[in-house]
Amino acid sequence: MKIATRLFRIIFLSALVFSIAGAPGALAADTQDSVVEQVIQSGVLRVGMSTFVPWAMKDKTGKLIGFEIDVATRLAKDMGVKVEFVPTKWSGIIPALLTGKFDVIIGGMGILPSRNLKVNFTDPYDFTGMSMVASKKMADGMMGLEAFNQPGIIIAARLGSTAVTATKKYLPKAEIRMFDDEAQAYQEVLNGRVHAVVGSAPTPAFQAIKNPDKLFLPLQGTFTREPIGFAVRKGDVDTLNYFNNWIGYVTAEGWLKERKAYWFETRDWESQLQ
Amino acid sequence: MIDKPIKATPTDLILLLGIGAVGAWLLYQALVTADYHWNWQAIPQYLLRFDKTSDQWVPGLIFQGLLVTLRLSFWATALALIMGVVMGLFRTSCSLYRRMIGSGYVALIRNIPVLVWIFIFYYFIGDRILPAVGIGPATMGENTAASGLLRFVAGEPSRAPAFVSGVLALAIYEGAYITEIIRAGIQSIDRGQWEASAGLGFSRGQQLRYIILPQAFRRILPPLAGQFISTIKDSAIVSVISIQELTFQGTELMAATFLTFEVWLTILVIYFIVCLTCGLLVERFEKRLQQNPQRVS
Repeated sequence: MKIATRLFRIIFLSALVFSIAGAPGALAADTQDSVVEQVIQSGVLRVGMSTFVPWAMKDKTGKLIGFEIDVATRLAKDMGVKVEFVPTKWSGIIPALLTGKFDVIIGGMGILPSRNLKVNFTDPYDFTGMSMVASKKMADGMMGLEAFNQPGIIIAARLGSTAVTATKKYLPKAEIRMFDDEAQAYQEVLNGRVHAVVGSAPTPAFQAIKNPDKLFLPLQGTFTREPIGFAVRKGDVDTLNYFNNWIGYVTAEGWLKERKAYWFETRDWESQLQ
Repeated sequence: MIDKPIKATPTDLILLLGIGAVGAWLLYQALVTADYHWNWQAIPQYLLRFDKTSDQWVPGLIFQGLLVTLRLSFWATALALIMGVVMGLFRTSCSLYRRMIGSGYVALIRNIPVLVWIFIFYYFIGDRILPAVGIGPATMGENTAASGLLRFVAGEPSRAPAFVSGVLALAIYEGAYITEIIRAGIQSIDRGQWEASAGLGFSRGQQLRYIILPQAFRRILPPLAGQFISTIKDSAIVSVISIQELTFQGTELMAATFLTFEVWLTILVIYFIVCLTCGLLVERFEKRLQQNPQRVS
């Protein structure tokens, strides 16, 4: 038992020393080398993302597919490195970026002023908008955004997403019920427990097409327009510059538009999922 | 213990019928009136699929998650057992210093919610200590003995930092409960046993090894088995730090396919089977011990 105590003491003290010694360097990301430099050196671009139809999802074989996946894969190819996707819970994705779990978030992240205080965003490479799908049972005959802006109306949305921000802004009187995943929010409206779901286009419209007996679209098109950018850690001008110019490059090429049309305006990829 | 012959009285039958009817009605209400489009034929491909390129059966998404869950539970249980035994001995030690360490550990861990603990550990402790001992993104690609070991423990090296964080956080958490089980087991042995063995000239270490622990072990086993099963179930919590275990894969799958109920029910059945198997194994081990008490000494 003497040995055990001594061993315990050594481990405990060394852990203490390590945590004190490592503290300043751990939370501040390495700024000597830009992220682009580190990526080139390690040969791997680590991309944080979260499942979000049709931005990123796993197909039947467990392979990642989607608009964001195409973008990140092409980006890595143009950099001459391999891409590695790090699936992360949406609610914890910004802390994970800040603590260096991956190099960049390419996950359909809307550029919000409040988010921008914590991370740097590239130029927008995409614009999305919020739309809404409502339950026939709960909200029959309610048309237009204003109809839902009243007390007693319950809106489901994904936790930490811009859908929540949009709902608070445009439907201040309604009550918001937040869920960790989009699927849970849509399940809630299918079960008729909430009046409507607010989510990024085109998913609400797709859900309404899939379940015409239960859901309807209370408004045509989207009611917000949000820029979407890559998120990187602060204080790294080189990386930001590289990504911005890459976005400009593939936009000019027409490649981005073509990919967006495929994922957002067709349903050719549906068969890969189930 | 005299076994009484089992007789069913009319009251029993009525009760059974009543319970059955209520259960059937609840199921009917839950499944039929939920008005949900079931799509069970989509599920098997996520368990096992036939890979056309390599021409063999490969684990699907859910099974990959299950493998991670088993791996995670195994290492967490092993570490928790070591922690629990050391701390349990500390808690019952003669020295006040060790007793304080043991009690401090249990008091700290048992009084914080596991979810909060997992987050704190991952973002603060895991980010500082792990890179300091060489488990970080930088060392993942190397072909050294250490990274080889890491691959053996954690599976995918690129996910290793998160995985190791998860294992450690879970092990420390479960270890606190195992500590208490071990302490209760040791303290449940009659004081006379200590005195008698001391009277025979055994040192304290020998008393523990030959007299106390073999007796305590048999009493500890049932609650310990419960704790092992708890560890498997609690491993679902580390899905919040994006370790791709069974629950995480399930939620991701739901987000992609919107097959909410089918996926949750599948996952529930898998957890049930795994935990039941674990419980039955321990039960068999207990029976073996009863038939052959000499095995532990």
